Amino acid sequence: MGDRTVKLTLHFVAALRDRLGRSEMVLESPEPLTDSEDVVAWIAARDPDAGAALAHQSVRLIRNNQIAPRPAPVADGDTLAFCPPFSGG
Amino acid sequence: MDPILIRIHDTPLSPAQELAAVIGRDGGCGAIASFVGQVRQEDGLVALELEHYPGGTEAALREIAENARVHWSLKRVAIHHRVGRMEAGEPIVFIAAAAAHRRAAFEAVGYMIDVLKTQAPFWKRLHTADGSHWIETRPDDEAATSAWLTELQNKDA
Repeated sequence: MGDRTVKLTLHFVAALRDRLGRSEMVLESPEPLTDSEDVVAWIAARDPDAGAALAHQSVRLIRNNQIAPRPAPVADGDTLAFCPPFSGG
Repeated sequence: MDPILIRIHDTPLSPAQELAAVIGRDGGCGAIASFVGQVRQEDGLVALELEHYPGGTEAALREIAENARVHWSLKRVAIHHRVGRMEAGEPIVFIAAAAAHRRAAFEAVGYMIDVLKTQAPFWKRLHTADGSHWIETRPDDEAATSAWLTELQNKDA
C-alpha cells in the first residue's frame, strides 16, 4: 500500500573505509530491509568482496550514533556505520 | 550542572589543566583519581593517528561515564580523548573521577579506561618510516572489559 522503500545512509569507518574504497553510501531498496544482515546481503549481492568484509564477525555497528549489537534492526532513514574493532585509549 | 564532561580534542591535551578543573569543585568529595594514557614509543613508531566517529564516539563515552557515575556514586567524571596525529609521549586520553572516598574513585577510573579500550569507537593507525597500518585490539583489552562487566553485573544483581 504505502511506499516501502527503505533509504539508509551507510558509513564505512577506518580500515573498512580503506577496504571498501568509500566512506559513505546511500542505499535505497524497494524491498524491505529489516536488519543489518539484510543490508550486508544487499551489498554482497552487488559486491561480494565488500559483502565479505562487512560480514566478518569482528565488525562493529553504530546505528544512529548508538553502538548496536549485531544483527541490528534498521528502519527507513537510519544511519548505519560499519566499523572495525575499536582501539582507543 | 552536568557532572559528566566528555570532550574530543584535535589539539594536544593538557592533563594538568583538566585535572585542575576537577579538583576543589565538589565539597562532598574527598577523593579525585585520574589516568593519563600516552603514546608509547615502540619500534618504528613515527606517529600514532586516532580516528573517531563523530556523534557515536561522544555518545559511547558518555554512556561509559554515566555507568561509572551511577555504579560508584561519583560526583564528577571527565573523559578527554585526543584524535588526529600524535607523537610518542603525547597524551591520548585523560580520565578523572571525583567521589566521596578514594576506593570508588580509583575503581571507577580503572573501569572507565578498561571499558573504553573496547567499547569506545576509536581506531588507531600506526605510522612508520615504511608506511602505516591500522592497529587491532589486544586480547588483554577484551579480557579486561569482560572482567569489569562481569563484576558490575554481579554487584548489581
